[in-house]
Amino acid sequence: MSGTASVRIANASFSYPGGKAGIFDLSLDIAPGELVVCIGPSGCGKTTLLKMIAGFLPCASGRVLLDGEDVTGVAVRERQCGIVFQSYALFPHMRVWENVAYPLRVRDVPISERQRRAEEMLDLVGLGGYGMRLPSELSGGQQQRVALARALVFKPRVLLLDEPLSALDAATRLSMRDEIRRIQKQQNIASLLITHDQDEALSLADRIAILREGRLVQVAAPKSMYDKPADAFVASFIGRANLLDGTVVGPHAVDTPIGRIATIEHALPGGAAVRLLVRPEKIVPVRIDADASPGENNFAVRVLHDRFFGASREIELSVGQGLLKIDTASREDITHVHVPRDAVQFLPTH
Amino acid sequence: MLSRWVTVAYLAYLGLPIALLFTGSFGDLWLNTLLPTGATFRWYREVAADPSFRRAFSTSLSVAVATSVACLAVGLPLAYAVYRTQSAKLRAAARVLYQLPVALPPLVLAFGFILVFSSDTLPWLGSIWLLIAGHIVLCLPYFLQTVVADMQRLGLRALEDAAESLGSSAPQRFMHIVVPALRHSVLSGLIVVTALSIGEFQFSNLVSGFLNRTYPVVLLQAFYGATGFACAATVILLLLALAASFSAAYSARGAARASVAGA
Repeated sequence: MSGTASVRIANASFSYPGGKAGIFDLSLDIAPGELVVCIGPSGCGKTTLLKMIAGFLPCASGRVLLDGEDVTGVAVRERQCGIVFQSYALFPHMRVWENVAYPLRVRDVPISERQRRAEEMLDLVGLGGYGMRLPSELSGGQQQRVALARALVFKPRVLLLDEPLSALDAATRLSMRDEIRRIQKQQNIASLLITHDQDEALSLADRIAILREGRLVQVAAPKSMYDKPADAFVASFIGRANLLDGTVVGPHAVDTPIGRIATIEHALPGGAAVRLLVRPEKIVPVRIDADASPGENNFAVRVLHDRFFGASREIELSVGQGLLKIDTASREDITHVHVPRDAVQFLPTH
Repeated sequence: MLSRWVTVAYLAYLGLPIALLFTGSFGDLWLNTLLPTGATFRWYREVAADPSFRRAFSTSLSVAVATSVACLAVGLPLAYAVYRTQSAKLRAAARVLYQLPVALPPLVLAFGFILVFSSDTLPWLGSIWLLIAGHIVLCLPYFLQTVVADMQRLGLRALEDAAESLGSSAPQRFMHIVVPALRHSVLSGLIVVTALSIGEFQFSNLVSGFLNRTYPVVLLQAFYGATGFACAATVILLLLALAASFSAAYSARGAARASVAGA
């Protein structure tokens, strides 16, 4: 297992002078061909982590291994990391093909081969025939493709992408997201992508790594991270979440601000403080006659906000003493909702 | 409509004295008339033959070239250091320090030089090296301004980081990235320095020695003599300054084009 990882970060730490910011005792493996998306709030250390792998920042302790080789003290230019910078950082005075061929030029590859391999890479990223243009003559999405081609042309050990889509407009961002995934799969290269966009993380990643204040909170595949978040922070950072603080009143029941909720069986003692997670799309609107008794986990609600998105509605509800967010396709007025028993998850309280 | 007339009036105001200088430089006799009478080239011949003007012309050129070379040698590393400094405070302090000569009248610098360099320990007043040193202080801010602004516009730091990650060594980064990316702004900065140095009067008038007076300093003396001679001498300075400005504007346009590519 340890021998096969393309990237291995072992107990690495780095702290900025004076501040509390940095990376603290972080360990993460990236398997060959795997795309790990690192996500977290701004200032959580995402970019610091990338710079430590690339060698722009030293490890105060711990090690970085690429393809099994310890590169902890190795200079940036000898680490062979392909990096796509947020600003693209294309060389403005070089033509597109010269930009792509630059890593080969500093490796003394003969010029005819440089041209051939640059053309190949440009074809791969869908920019065949653009070689003689200057970067300034390309759109943002095209510049991004050039940056990707340049980062891959020298067969690096790992591809590092620093918020590659943040400078693009919304439409280009979606298509570039698919392009990055396609090219990364085609090249079968271990990759780390930094982002603060949860949709990007969920749709691109083989695994998501959530970073908070320099520490990894959870590393998991997108589906399992969404379905089984490690704590309330992850639950609210990946996807939308209803978090309810409550008190255990029985083996199947918790009292919360919205009322008593029936849960799946748990082993917690009565009186214990718990935090419950219910995803908004799991809550279903129901019709209940005014004189009928509400029934288990059905709650009378008052609508606070109702946002219509065409295919769905995001509604904020006032329930008892608390609030609930729900996502629904229903067009009906909402008077009651049902919270299915198995949609209620227990999260650790901090 | 009004703005057009204002423009025309301003251009006339700007151009008329220069046109008169031109006319006067070719006029044979100019005494108590609106325009000179007679046409001649003899004033140019006389200026060209005058030993003190010949000397001043070559002094001015040497000082300008030396100042430019020094600004390049000192200014480029300095600009780079200012740009790469991590601390925002240090960067602001450096900027205030190197912009100071722009705000100070050259006269103040000249008095300072006279006080310090007429002492027994540092008796260098009147040497050409002191003249060059003063021109460097006066011209360097404009060079730094141009080059640092271009570094910021290009995002030179990110370009260098990118090159480094792609396997480029420090000398390679300097030759492949830094120099070519900055070539337009360095060139236009140098031409501005040359033009400023050639035209500088206040400082040079007080600090230059009798044997290495610069062209503008000698020019002042000419106005005590024949009008045609003074006009011809002035036109020569004017042409020199215009040549420098035009090439500065031309290379600045190139720099603007290159920085669009970096955006």
